[in-house]
Amino acid sequence: MATPSTSAERPVAPVPPAATPAGTARAPRPPSARLGLPLLLVLVAVVTVTPFVVMVLVAFAPAGGQTLPGAFDVTRATFANFTDVLENADITRWAVNSLVYSLVSVLLILLFSSMAGYAFAKKRFPGREILFWSFLATLMVPFQATLIPYYILVSELGGVDTYWGLIVPTLANSQAVFLMRQFIVQLPDELFEAAKIDGASEWRIYTTVVVPLIRPVLATLGVFVFLWHWNDFLWPLVIGQSEEMRTLTVGLATLEGENVAINQIMAGATITVIPCLLVFGLLQRYLTDSIATSGLKS
Amino acid sequence: MRRTATDSIAPDEGDGLPGTSGRPPGAKATGPGDRSGPGRPAPGARSRILRRREALAGLAFVAPMLVLFVVFRFGPTLGAAFLSVTDYRLSGEWTFIGAGNYTRLLGDDLFWESLGVTAVYTVLYVPMTVALALGTAVLLHRTLWMRGFFRGLFFLPYVTSIVLAAVIWKWIYEVQDGLLNASLGVIGVGPVDFLGSESLVLPSIAAASAWKGFGYSMLILLAGLQSIPREVTEAATIDGASGWQRFRWVTLPLLRPVLFFVLVIEAILGFQVFDAMYVMTAGGPVRASYSLVYFLYDSGFKFFDFGYASAVGLVLFLVVLVFSLVQRRLIGRDAD
Repeated sequence: MATPSTSAERPVAPVPPAATPAGTARAPRPPSARLGLPLLLVLVAVVTVTPFVVMVLVAFAPAGGQTLPGAFDVTRATFANFTDVLENADITRWAVNSLVYSLVSVLLILLFSSMAGYAFAKKRFPGREILFWSFLATLMVPFQATLIPYYILVSELGGVDTYWGLIVPTLANSQAVFLMRQFIVQLPDELFEAAKIDGASEWRIYTTVVVPLIRPVLATLGVFVFLWHWNDFLWPLVIGQSEEMRTLTVGLATLEGENVAINQIMAGATITVIPCLLVFGLLQRYLTDSIATSGLKS
Repeated sequence: MRRTATDSIAPDEGDGLPGTSGRPPGAKATGPGDRSGPGRPAPGARSRILRRREALAGLAFVAPMLVLFVVFRFGPTLGAAFLSVTDYRLSGEWTFIGAGNYTRLLGDDLFWESLGVTAVYTVLYVPMTVALALGTAVLLHRTLWMRGFFRGLFFLPYVTSIVLAAVIWKWIYEVQDGLLNASLGVIGVGPVDFLGSESLVLPSIAAASAWKGFGYSMLILLAGLQSIPREVTEAATIDGASGWQRFRWVTLPLLRPVLFFVLVIEAILGFQVFDAMYVMTAGGPVRASYSLVYFLYDSGFKFFDFGYASAVGLVLFLVVLVFSLVQRRLIGRDAD
């Protein structure tokens, strides 16, 4: 959900500034706590992961054989559900749509928001304050509240069932602009001055000074935008009306509504979640740290 | 040295206005009024040209995003307000009907029903999510053992979509062979129709959403916990406070602003619920899970009553606005 389109984006968590870096020695704990807490952790972890385990087990179980974690027969595991669902449904097409939606959005949002963030952080121009705050103010308006005018606008422009109709309206992402500005504002002005004295054009300063310096925040934001768009539902549901223009999440929801075997649905679900897990697995530490520090929220 | 997530927190804190940041007073000569700043004798004409050039560059860099915002953010927001006082329909024809849609809403049982469903859902969803988030955050804070691993694991559901959570949980809740009923069967509790019962459907959906969403609040709360100075809790220990007392009287009060933040964020999310209900129950049974956004969606895309749906959207906006204002009040007061 979330995504620029679902709008519970909120910029900054009021986390108080970090306290004394904890170099102090930890007080010894009673043995009960030393054992009890990790045990509880494992228990909660098992409950958290169970739905995923169930999904994978059902996806690999022979058709008709719904299965419980305990009763899964490894020798009967099969890929048939995956091949079936790929044949029956337009899953490959939906996956392509999801990829186009997510990747193009990532690229364009990174480009436009870093440009705007640079201007808001380092350039003085008339109306800067007002523009910045009016960008931020849009965070207060939930996407659903403006769904209807969004739809009318895009359909009047002929964007229903097109890629641009799906992508372009979601690019106005205030959280991205805010994050970029907050990061760029910290970069020392001297860098830009020096480049300017060397006679570099503004665009050259942006590409050779700004972009390399903001690589970490570009990566973080890129991951978030990817996940927001990959998981988005309401906007793709509304704007992709033909079967060919569905994204994976919308396709999965329609599979669920039609009379498709649960094993195939779970195979479809597994396919849907793989990119998220890949991105997450690769960038876990990164991702979790940046939520804690910047309060990025889909 | 333990690296906490909060070490690098809040890019430029206390920076109220964009114009005031990252710019030590009198350091640069680009601002209005400091033309006579030290080391920059640059007289009028030249610096004016430079400033105009800088302003043009700034505008040029904002331009693409500005166009997007004007067309796709500000436009639709004003459009929503405009549509809500018309009877705009699919055909594109409309007449101005003033408060017509709003008076119609007041008399529409379905609207009140959906508002009630959404309120009840939010009241169920928020405590579940925040309790889970706080519980896991405290657990992670207290245990060093494989903390990174468990943190990632608890966060895992958050990176998936609500649709995925809904699909999986729908099956877990299934009366026949669903994981939950199969497990309940083992201890002799008869099959429960979690999603088919009017009284259980909202708690069931709320639980699935809490599973999906708690990871975000957990990380925020964990960062909050890690920012509490260890000396404070240590002092309480020396004074003889038990673990629970320390948590109740030291940790919790210090965590309050973060807790408020998380509560309001989740409440706003709760009020926007749609995806889970669309996939798991289609609003049923007998509209027991027919939320406000579902009502909006149906008004717009089933009955093509765009003006009416926009009025519902404005109601949603007002609710979210109230939540945000309450949050600002509470956190503002807390900061004093």
